Amino acid sequence: MLEKVIEIVKEQLNVEAEITAESNFKEDLGADSLDLFEIVMAFEEEFGTEIPTEDLESIATVGDVVNYLNAKGVN
Amino acid sequence: MKTRVTELLGIEYPIIQGGMAWVAEYHLAAAVSNAGGLGIIGAASAPAEVVREQIRKTKELTDKPFGVNVMLMNPNADEVAQVIVEEGVKVVTTGAGNPSKYMKMWKEAGVKVIPVVASVALAKLMERAGADAVVAEGTESGGHIGSTTTMALVPQVVDAVNIPVIAAGGIADGRGFAASMMLGAEAVQMGTRFCVAEEAITHDNYKLRIIKAKDIDSEVTGLSHGHPVRQLRNNMTKEYLKLEKEGVPMEELEYLTLGSLRKAVMDGDTINGTVMAGQIAAMVKEVQPCKDIIEEIMSDAKKLLNRE
Repeated sequence: MLEKVIEIVKEQLNVEAEITAESNFKEDLGADSLDLFEIVMAFEEEFGTEIPTEDLESIATVGDVVNYLNAKGVN
Repeated sequence: MKTRVTELLGIEYPIIQGGMAWVAEYHLAAAVSNAGGLGIIGAASAPAEVVREQIRKTKELTDKPFGVNVMLMNPNADEVAQVIVEEGVKVVTTGAGNPSKYMKMWKEAGVKVIPVVASVALAKLMERAGADAVVAEGTESGGHIGSTTTMALVPQVVDAVNIPVIAAGGIADGRGFAASMMLGAEAVQMGTRFCVAEEAITHDNYKLRIIKAKDIDSEVTGLSHGHPVRQLRNNMTKEYLKLEKEGVPMEELEYLTLGSLRKAVMDGDTINGTVMAGQIAAMVKEVQPCKDIIEEIMSDAKKLLNRE
């Protein structure tokens, strides 16, 4: 799951940076709020799930996404 | 002219006034609504009780629909969102963030919710969250902006969502209105043109600075820290951009602009204050009543579009 999430983030942001579970979208990856919405839509498409925008407040790092998707029972 | 937006909001003309901080208070909002458009009170960073008072005063001046713009970064946003429901406001536009957490409360109260968006992804997410329409705002706008132009953004948002799209950014006359309709929008939102409306209680110096603006007078500050603001150039932008280039931290830059919008809009210091206005400022040539502004735009647009 983590590898897939990282792959999507890299593709969406077009970066070659080292991305880990600890990477913070805003601080480490330079993603602004509009970028984040873009990435979320890509996750939804890949994992076939809906991520309501109000849930975004709990997501700051790449690892948060993995935990969030796991909690929703997404594989 | 009827569109899905005029039907949705119960207004005569598909023209919405922007929720500009300090500028969009009750005199202006009521005048725009009385002229057949949709007036908006800009809640900006005002305390909730001030917003309540503004709403009540607007109601004294008009029985037509009007709205409130909620700036979501405002620390008082929760209370402002509540006041809107308590006072029976019919329309809300939102800026600077994601209004999802208020959506349920507003929809249950019958409030029409229209988020301002600067990207296709946010427009789609807002539609799914229950938005009744979206304002697609291009970077030509004054104040806090996104990076995509109106010309590029509006048709992409129109293609991406089924709800009506309202175009904003760089629109100030019948040509801009007509062009927006051609791009697929069903209404326009204008800020700068209404900043100089006769009914706007803004300082004469602020109106005059917009009227005297030239096409190349527009500057964007704060790009480097991710909060770009479009305004007219003066001492303030010169100083800010110099410090920004030197890498001065954001907190220090924010201190520089503390109260600076009020200084320009209300106190009339257009040299050291922040004169927010869009790229279209140079096309705004005179102080007119809202009724004349709206009727002139509609009359020109109808000819251009060959449509009633």
